[in-house]
Amino acid sequence: MLGFLTARQAGLDDPLRLRRAESTRRVLNLELNHDRDVDRIHSNGVNTIDIEVIEGRYMLSGGADGVIVVYDLENNSGKPQYTCKAVCTVGRSSRYVHRFSVETVQWYPHDTGMFVSSSFDKTMKVWDTETLKPAEVFQFEGNVYCHHMSPIARKHSLIAVGTKDQKVQLCDLKSGSRIQVLQGHRGEVLSVRWSPRYEHILATASTDSRVLVWDVRRASGSLFSLDQHNGDKSKASSEAVNTAHNGRVNGLCFTVDGLYLLTTGTDDRMRLWNSANGKNTLVNYGKVSNESRKGLKITVSHSCSPEFVFVPCGSSVAVYTLHTGELVTMLRGHYNNVDCCQFHPDYQELYSGGKDCNILAWVPIVRPPDVEEEGTAAKGGSQATVNPAFEDAWSSDED
Amino acid sequence: MNRKRALISDTFKVNKRRVGNEKQFGAVSNGEAGPLDVKATLQDLMTLFPRKLFNDALPQIVLKHQLYSIHNDRTQVDRQLSDLREQGELLMFQLGFDAEAFGLVFAADYKAKVLAGEEGRGTRGTVDKFLEKVLPSCNDLSFNKDKMLKEFLFTDSEITQLVKSGVLTVRDAGSWWLSIPNSGRFTKYLIQGRKAVLGMVKKSKYNEVLKAELEERQTNSQVKFQIKYHIHDIIGAELVECIPTTSGTLLRCVDY
Repeated sequence: MLGFLTARQAGLDDPLRLRRAESTRRVLNLELNHDRDVDRIHSNGVNTIDIEVIEGRYMLSGGADGVIVVYDLENNSGKPQYTCKAVCTVGRSSRYVHRFSVETVQWYPHDTGMFVSSSFDKTMKVWDTETLKPAEVFQFEGNVYCHHMSPIARKHSLIAVGTKDQKVQLCDLKSGSRIQVLQGHRGEVLSVRWSPRYEHILATASTDSRVLVWDVRRASGSLFSLDQHNGDKSKASSEAVNTAHNGRVNGLCFTVDGLYLLTTGTDDRMRLWNSANGKNTLVNYGKVSNESRKGLKITVSHSCSPEFVFVPCGSSVAVYTLHTGELVTMLRGHYNNVDCCQFHPDYQELYSGGKDCNILAWVPIVRPPDVEEEGTAAKGGSQATVNPAFEDAWSSDED
Repeated sequence: MNRKRALISDTFKVNKRRVGNEKQFGAVSNGEAGPLDVKATLQDLMTLFPRKLFNDALPQIVLKHQLYSIHNDRTQVDRQLSDLREQGELLMFQLGFDAEAFGLVFAADYKAKVLAGEEGRGTRGTVDKFLEKVLPSCNDLSFNKDKMLKEFLFTDSEITQLVKSGVLTVRDAGSWWLSIPNSGRFTKYLIQGRKAVLGMVKKSKYNEVLKAELEERQTNSQVKFQIKYHIHDIIGAELVECIPTTSGTLLRCVDY
């Protein structure tokens, strides 16, 4: 570690190298920390979590009881023991709360003044965070499984919505209307995701075992469908030709640079695809157990080398290396099935929520401070509770 | 003091890397020496195949997922296998009982056994032609009618002869899987034996058995192959979980 620091100082190493090495070391050290806790507000399972991208300070969670909670993740108390408090809640007593379970929540990508939630009560609501009232409500004909807003879009403000219907709807935030429909799937659409690299590319996953990639500017159908055998028609039985999985596809995630796409399916497999040409990179992750009937939310790490993917697997979260498919570790701690997880890129922390109504924070193990013999023990009892980072280490005792 | 063994990234390991230490994370190594050599492992596994049981009529078959139980890095294993197939040394077959179960046979072995089986039969000429023309050029697991008629210039009656001899099996109307003649008994014994060995693990107290102990156990009449063959099969297919313990590897039943 010191080697990296001196190399960075002397200019022998690129600054990015130190950052990558330290991020990777922190991700490999994730564990449950009894100092960090998240307020328990939900009375039924937690279905979805989202952390805002601007500051990384506020986290949204949506539950099976229709409740939406906003948490403050920042620790300003100066003490290591910290519970992430709920800042505000759209509870059962609110007039505008969703009637059934909330399936997806997402912050507005450009500021925290707004967030969007979609639920099994066939509506998608755009909320004002200040007043906690919906500014806009979109009605659909079937249960809404997921929605996603592009994190980089400047030219459009479309929300892609996947519902029980086979058509993927695109709703416009600026005009408040449903302006486009993407036809091509033959089953319910379980997951939609915009590419973080190109603002017009959208990937959708469905129960018909296919994943389609679209360019929303094109009027005719999808760009291509992901094929697990890469066009080698001989490998599959004839019904499984041109499918991404041998079962329902319920999880979609782009890597941070947008070059690769991960999909998980109920055939207990996870596949990594090259997002430019749709080819299966044939990385073999082994059996990734997947029994979810709705969407599964997977996430990837950010600026580590090698990159990691976090997949909820039963009641634990499995961590795999992205490009080699090696299972690094299983994070165990939930009492029931885990439904969603989200990676905090700045602090390398993982938040996961599940049916046991808990949101667990997986924090990198803090290196214990070296024990110093002289003087510090004598400074008084009140010092013991102060975080060593806030300790006064420069004033002299002689004055 | 942190008693837990931490996962350490490769970049932080200051010590000289030991030759052949493939695993990147964690302090536990798997006891396999040397870089990943799939061909050598295949030859080892082939010795486990019981030739006498089929009166030497079948070539030695290894299942693709048995390799996963020996080597940790599945992606590397897959890549080396596809290289071997490109070179024409190895053939892969869709065995039919599971979408993911593939059988591997050395090409030379396969040719020898098939031709030996065809001695004195009328279909010999066609099978010969098939083995000479199709196998070296085409790596696929299945063939459809267009390909057979146009690319390889087989007639309909010749295709019927190939199906009769067992080299092709029907997949659906107009397409066929490449197959091993007389492999039906192999599949039957494999599934029977797999169920019996899994039953042995399930019946144990706490549904778990030490791998070394399972290898020593007496098998009943249901299990026709060597028990090691079945153990590799169930570990590779992830029907049991492999847990490292101080007394060796423990196999625990995965109940879903």
